[in-house]
Amino acid sequence: MKYAYYPGCSSEGSGAEYARASEAVLEALGVEIEEIDDWVCCGATPAHATSHLLAIALPAISCASAEKQSLDILTCCACCHSRLKQVNQQVKDDPKLRAKISEIIEEDYQGNLNVLHITEVLAREVGLEAIRAHVRKPLTGLKVACYYGCLMSRMPEALMTDKSEYPMLLDNLMEAIGAEPLDWPYKTECCGAALTLTRTKTVIRLCADILEMAKENGADALVVACPLCQANLDIYQAEAEKLKGERFSIPVIYFVQLMGLAMELDPKRICLDKLVVDPFPILAQKGFVDGAVYL
Amino acid sequence: MKVDLTNKALHSEFRRTVEALSGQNLGDCYQCGKCSGGCPVEPDVEVSPTRLMRLVQLGLEEEALSSDSIWHCAGCGTCNGRCPMGIDIVAIKDALRKLTKEIHYKRGSLEAWTFYQSFLDCVRKFGRLTEIGLMGGYNINSGWIMTNVKKAPWYLMRNKLGVSPHTIKRVDRLQRVFERIEEIEGK
Repeated sequence: MKYAYYPGCSSEGSGAEYARASEAVLEALGVEIEEIDDWVCCGATPAHATSHLLAIALPAISCASAEKQSLDILTCCACCHSRLKQVNQQVKDDPKLRAKISEIIEEDYQGNLNVLHITEVLAREVGLEAIRAHVRKPLTGLKVACYYGCLMSRMPEALMTDKSEYPMLLDNLMEAIGAEPLDWPYKTECCGAALTLTRTKTVIRLCADILEMAKENGADALVVACPLCQANLDIYQAEAEKLKGERFSIPVIYFVQLMGLAMELDPKRICLDKLVVDPFPILAQKGFVDGAVYL
Repeated sequence: MKVDLTNKALHSEFRRTVEALSGQNLGDCYQCGKCSGGCPVEPDVEVSPTRLMRLVQLGLEEEALSSDSIWHCAGCGTCNGRCPMGIDIVAIKDALRKLTKEIHYKRGSLEAWTFYQSFLDCVRKFGRLTEIGLMGGYNINSGWIMTNVKKAPWYLMRNKLGVSPHTIKRVDRLQRVFERIEEIEGK
């Protein structure tokens, strides 16, 4: 099993721990990854909000590079995944657009590869059975609220691989490592995404609602698979607590970090110490970490 | 507000332009309100997505282009996912943003444009985004100098801020891509 790996810009900054933990888990499960040669930013919201062609050309540059490597693309970021996958489909379906984009990016690009999110690769390609076999320390008794956010659950219908209003991929993965995924109603609510800089108040209000709902459902932790969701829910948790007038103290953990913990991978590679809301108290209370090892 | 429901209003130039830019048929919308029901920012805006669709249907250009909701949109796509007619409402908002030539300070378009511009400037220069580059550009150009500065120590302490930009190898090709698109779409 080998994929062309698209790390995305957050892997070099605020989402570094997500990328490092993902790479560690993939390696432990025998999934080979080869970084896409000279990949560029997918353009995210600013590209599609301002230019039709730029929103297609930026992902196309990286996809064309992966096509040369003759590999399907694996990416961890929910936003990159959404952009790459949609562009790949658009280019595949529309010969005129294909010609135009190939000319703009100075490269032949067919749109013939698959773009997969890491949750799909782990849950479907590697398989839950294989993951169970790698678990050395099941996270029994850890109640997790799996939070998918928007971009994992709101692709155009033809591209969806999970149910859009009640997805299960993350829940299934968490069950495989022994944790207890909760049935809760805010799995796909929006965290405010890229409004972080421009409309901070809105982001705080939305994050507060999500955190409050997770707490009411008895969550020990929120489990995420998107670097922007993680940043918003983690960084603004103090403001959200102020807004609601209650303490949440809910760590917002990337699903691969918990997988790495259950598989007893090198703690340095799963980077639990990079989270703002400290996950160690709850993990130590449940007996999954020996506080001394980490602190 | 008095609304013109004549045939002329329903066939406005403005509506045709939005339809062409977004590739959507505004006539598909029958105002059921599902988009607004799911919209996470609806409580914070004056014009809900359903009303915005109606404004465009009726050719009310000024009202549509000066509405705060096109700038407040998080781009989450809930409206798209729930529209029973399968309309790409996000694409319609993208089209409206592109048509807005005036900056409406109170509406939030200044902040939104500055954010988009700072982001894309960084990508254009290096091929990838760095958070320092994005936040620096945004804070200086929007005038909101202190945005998120309070949060920086958290990031620095955890060594999470992408500080030194990583430049891609074929940055010259990327410049040509940007230039070509500007030639086709206009700046």
